[in-house]
Amino acid sequence: MRATSVQMGHFLNYRVAAWGTTLIVLGILPGCGIGPNLTRLLFTALVWIITSVAWNLLGGFTGQVSFGFAVFYGLGAYTAAMGINGGLNPLAAFAISGLAAAIASIPIGLPTFRLRGPYFAIATIGVSEAVRVVMTNLSFTGGASGYRIAEHGPFRPLEHYYTALGFAGVAVVISAWTHYSKFGLSLQAVREDEEAAADIGVNPLKAKLMVHLQAAALTGIAGGVYARYAAYIHPQGVFAFHTSVAILLMPIIGGAGTVAGPVIGGFVYGLVQEELVAAFPQFHLLLYGALLIVIILFEPRGVVGWLGKLRVFIERTWRKSAAASVG
Amino acid sequence: MPPLLSVERLNRYFAGLAALKDVGFEVEEGQICGLIGPNGAGKTTLFSIIAGSIPPSSGTITYSGKDVTHWKSFQAVRAGVARTHQITRPFRSMTTRQNVEVGLHFGRGPVSSSPSNEVTAILEGVGLGHVAGRNAASLCVGDQRRLELARTLAAKPKLLLCDEVCSGLTETEMNEVLELLRRIRERGTTILYVEHNMRAIMSTCDQVVVLNFGQKLTEGPPLKIQNDPAVIEAYLGRTAAN
Repeated sequence: MRATSVQMGHFLNYRVAAWGTTLIVLGILPGCGIGPNLTRLLFTALVWIITSVAWNLLGGFTGQVSFGFAVFYGLGAYTAAMGINGGLNPLAAFAISGLAAAIASIPIGLPTFRLRGPYFAIATIGVSEAVRVVMTNLSFTGGASGYRIAEHGPFRPLEHYYTALGFAGVAVVISAWTHYSKFGLSLQAVREDEEAAADIGVNPLKAKLMVHLQAAALTGIAGGVYARYAAYIHPQGVFAFHTSVAILLMPIIGGAGTVAGPVIGGFVYGLVQEELVAAFPQFHLLLYGALLIVIILFEPRGVVGWLGKLRVFIERTWRKSAAASVG
Repeated sequence: MPPLLSVERLNRYFAGLAALKDVGFEVEEGQICGLIGPNGAGKTTLFSIIAGSIPPSSGTITYSGKDVTHWKSFQAVRAGVARTHQITRPFRSMTTRQNVEVGLHFGRGPVSSSPSNEVTAILEGVGLGHVAGRNAASLCVGDQRRLELARTLAAKPKLLLCDEVCSGLTETEMNEVLELLRRIRERGTTILYVEHNMRAIMSTCDQVVVLNFGQKLTEGPPLKIQNDPAVIEAYLGRTAAN
């Protein structure tokens, strides 16, 4: 008993150290003369990490695969854009973005969470497309031609970068807390077997609505942070189906249902996405599709699962060679 | 004293097919009440309605003096009625310990000041102490049955609904489980017990309700049921009864 708790402590320390190092590296990198282009790429990656971690709360921990997260991303983007244009402090605008997305998650969740598995996924596509069509035709937000943000003062890339880093940090803390809390336990139970979970006291609908709310709020904030940076948003971008797919791809590539996976996935996607689009303007989505199939077939826990196997392999080889040198 | 559970004129139709017709019975507090009947008699349907998994077409269920006919399963659990499943449904990618933790934290409660010790005690009580850290998917059939029971016990039911906890178990394992049920009853939990195995029913129950084709055939103490010609006929056919 004692031995396990000591091992557990050691294990947690190692994790906290890894996260701390990542945060420090990302914190000092822009000061090391990495240039505006890399800073921009890292900013993009951080925004994607927020959405990826958010999606994983619902899709990874709770097992509800949603294709509708562009709704929250777009809603957050438009809310922040209008707030900033209305003279609001950006941070206050982001808070309202999160709030707006969280509120929207309730009428979306109430009907769709009564559906299971692929039916839920299909329903979220429907909701997402409906919202995109409405936004394309809504005149006071500029309709299909988009919406421009007019912020006074100089453009400070580092301010944007640290805002994104801060929110990404918050997202990871929420994700870790959710994973190891009592609430997280009920989410896992719902993912494994919803009815069996209800048969020992979990209210599945409430659990799903609550985690959906959290995920929507974080995604809305990410949309807001992106909108302020881009200074121009349009429905075919933020509300597009490919935005929903991107938000779902990252955590699956990295490792759905883990804390680190969505961060790794978001990071990789953020960095390679632009190059991929430039190199294969027509085919980049096909590449992701192929990657997705390979991951689901061979390593459902994504990069995290693959790293775990690699670690086991290295440890085994190490032990073997140690034994050989002794013998 | 009023019965802990009372079922009155319960009907349930599946697309016109009557699975239960006017079923009524009562379970006294502190009893182990057996529910038996041939395949397709409606035992599991009755069970699922009492546990709140599916609603009845008509009729009423009263528990502890409250009308609970249309409650949902999580509400039933929090009020003190919890079921096990005939086909075990462990949370496969979670550990044995985590499975039990869900029941403990979301059940009727209250949770003691040391939940971790409580989970250990529950696991050891059903003989799962040695596999606490293993993934539920890796457990053998017998251990999965024990886990099903442990998880439900962690929710601290006042009325435990056991659905064939002995199926697929060896003779020794079965005796262990039956002994466990008696111990649970001694601690003050009432048990409604669906079982196919007659020996299991006869050796543990105070009262037995017999269902056949969705209707209550008879009820009474085990010895009386065992010698009832109508029961023998339902199970074995007319010639055997004569």
